Amino acid sequence: MNNKQLDLVIPLDKGLPELLASFQNNFYVNVLPETVIHRIYYDTFDWLLYNNGAVLEVHEEGESRRIYWQANQQSSLRIQLGLSDVPQLASELPDSDFRRQLQSVISVRELTPRIKIKVKRLPLVMLDKHEKVVVRVNFDEHWYYPSKTRAGTVLGKRIAIKPVKGYQDEFGQVEAFFEPMRLREAQDNLIKLALLESGYSASEYSNKLNLILDPEMPAEQAMKQILLRLLEIMQQNTAGSIRGRDSEFMHDFRVSIRKTRSALTQITRVLPQGTIIRFNQFFSGLGKLTNPIRDGDVFLLKLESYQQCLKPSSQEHLKPLREYLVTSRATAQKKFVETLKTQEHRDQIKEWREYLENADPTEPPLENSGRPVYKLADELIWNMYQLALEEGNAITDETEAEALHELRKTCKKLRYLMEFFQSLYPARDIRELIRAMKGLQDNLGVFNDLHVHAGILKKFIKQSPDSRAKKACKQIVNELKRRQVKTRGKFAERYAAFSSGETQKEFRELFVDSRKG
Amino acid sequence: MKIIAIYNIKGGVGKTASAVNLSYLASLDGASTLLWDLDPQGAASYYYRIKAKIKGGGQKLVEGKRNLEEAIKGTDYENLDLLPADFSYRDMDFFVEMSKKPERRLNKMLEPLADEYDYVFLDCPPSISSASESIFAAADILLVPTIPTTLSLRTYKQIKKFFKEMDYDSMKILPFFAMVDLRKQLHRLIVDYPPSFMPTVLDSYIPYASEVERMGVNRAPVGDFAAHSRAAICYRSMWDEIKSHLFSHP
Ligand SMILES: Nc1ncnc2c1ncn2[C@@H]1O[C@H](COP(=O)(O)OP(=O)(O)O)[C@@H](O)[C@H]1O
Ligand SMILES: [Mg+2]
Repeated sequence: MNNKQLDLVIPLDKGLPELLASFQNNFYVNVLPETVIHRIYYDTFDWLLYNNGAVLEVHEEGESRRIYWQANQQSSLRIQLGLSDVPQLASELPDSDFRRQLQSVISVRELTPRIKIKVKRLPLVMLDKHEKVVVRVNFDEHWYYPSKTRAGTVLGKRIAIKPVKGYQDEFGQVEAFFEPMRLREAQDNLIKLALLESGYSASEYSNKLNLILDPEMPAEQAMKQILLRLLEIMQQNTAGSIRGRDSEFMHDFRVSIRKTRSALTQITRVLPQGTIIRFNQFFSGLGKLTNPIRDGDVFLLKLESYQQCLKPSSQEHLKPLREYLVTSRATAQKKFVETLKTQEHRDQIKEWREYLENADPTEPPLENSGRPVYKLADELIWNMYQLALEEGNAITDETEAEALHELRKTCKKLRYLMEFFQSLYPARDIRELIRAMKGLQDNLGVFNDLHVHAGILKKFIKQSPDSRAKKACKQIVNELKRRQVKTRGKFAERYAAFSSGETQKEFRELFVDSRKG
Repeated sequence: MKIIAIYNIKGGVGKTASAVNLSYLASLDGASTLLWDLDPQGAASYYYRIKAKIKGGGQKLVEGKRNLEEAIKGTDYENLDLLPADFSYRDMDFFVEMSKKPERRLNKMLEPLADEYDYVFLDCPPSISSASESIFAAADILLVPTIPTTLSLRTYKQIKKFFKEMDYDSMKILPFFAMVDLRKQLHRLIVDYPPSFMPTVLDSYIPYASEVERMGVNRAPVGDFAAHSRAAICYRSMWDEIKSHLFSHP
């Protein structure tokens, strides 16, 4: 049986020259020229590869540039041939196992170089009496450079003993030589060490609020914390949204804007009215800029399914529609980027942050500013649930679609409030209730998407000169109407779960009764 | 794993020289590479300074009784291993063995190596034998070194016909001109105007060069001892051309 490569850790205080000298005294070796290899680890913004045990790295050595991929901890790092560079998106790769494996981990997320390690390598070969290479040994020093200007640090020193097939005995001799030194086998991977060194953690990014609020905390202080966390998520996703390749950035960016606006308008009488109006206006404007981008992205994804109602030959007539969508998206993206780069936008964000970071309570205090946050949270959530029930109960088969949209918005507000104040309640209870709402929310969400998408199509039909494209789009609009009817058909059942005596009882227990005693 | 066979029914056309040099270049790319010396003469093994003797004999290897892995030997070059020729091939009928289930035989044997190797080069013996079909079936690319002479072109035509009769995709056959001597008018003519039955012929060719002959003395690929020689450069550009065939994405 053939041996596996053995990687040993050399303690940092042990010098390589001495070790090398003693190795040379014991074996017939040939020292090869020292080389420098740059290992560049790629990952998504939220470290999906690292967190899933996958590795995508480039080795640069002189002119050569090699790409390596490891799908998971059980598989090995394999070179990827026929590629000149790491793709930014998995979809850029030709169809292959590599593409499928990568896509299953990162989906549509964008890859960027995240960590660079420099390896100074002294390679040796051990020879037999015929001067045949029988074992390879690399003495490696791994350096981490946080940036071009900052000094590097040594992450570790390693010896890699690489077997040559058919020379097991010689490998055993080298192994035996190192044995008395009691060197540890290298198990920890270098990325982990570099991450520690860099000071950021791979679990750092989350689009969840992850806030722990003290129930007795004054509502104003809690609200500022919530808004600050939302601003943080927004800012973490700004650069990626501006690049515009990975739609997840824009998604998270938008959600934090919506949540910010929801907090501003729903958590009332905590912050001064003037502040609320001003920043609500600012975020509303920002949100509107992103709507056509996101709607276009979602619509393009859905189009694959929508167009199934057309004959294959008519599907081809949709080309002008696709071109129109791509152009509209590009225009909207450009406008978005321009706005974000203005001084005015930056000033607003800065002022918002400064306002939120200022811990001084509002003077004079508003009605709710100083109340313990849990009381306000109970009230807000309970009232919003009541409002949702009121709106939902009024909906019959004859009600206008408008009422469903209103209910959708109310449910979303309710959901956001529950997320903001999640930490004030037993985690399991909140999760249960969110689950009880999910069916209804999904139903209303699909209904709304169909409405928005029909709107996009109608807008296209109005301005397109292409009669075949228009005809195909009209057919899709009809298909969307059919789907809306179908979706609405399921509303009653979904709503019943949301408004059932059981769910009402749970809401009451959690948000009304729990603190009575 | 990509399988590249270097094949011609004629001997002395530069098959082994090509297999040795191309496998070396593949390993320099960082690709884990295996060169399988299928010729009982063991020339490829000799160039890589590996004794052409498999314990237990080649026959058992083909029958699958022995683990192929155990017969593999590392060369002096990183990422490059060799499966040595075995003189016992001469006595046993490797090729009769191959003919039992010809299409799948070689593929089956190579299957367990797929996790380990990125490239397998097959240095084929001359002569049309029953092993040919197995090689045709397994190879992603069949490289056919051809000396630019009338007789060699006829041989190439024969191979192509043979290949087509067995229903393999003729796009897999990539002939190239080897041992080209541009001082000879006929060589020049054929290289500049390849015949129409060679639509897939490679643009790169290998000149007749003393460095290639010196491989026998140095027992190493030309890239190792004469990296800047004409021959080394030609092998490199040929390897680039082969890769563009292997990794072209429609
Ligand atoms: N391009 C070349 N220039 C000069 N000599 C060559 C060249 N290619 C091969 N030879 C020599 O010709 C002989 C046969 O080559 P070889 O590669 O063993 O052919 P095959 O494997 O087809 O029988 C060898 O002695 C080799 O050194
Ligand atoms: Mg040969």
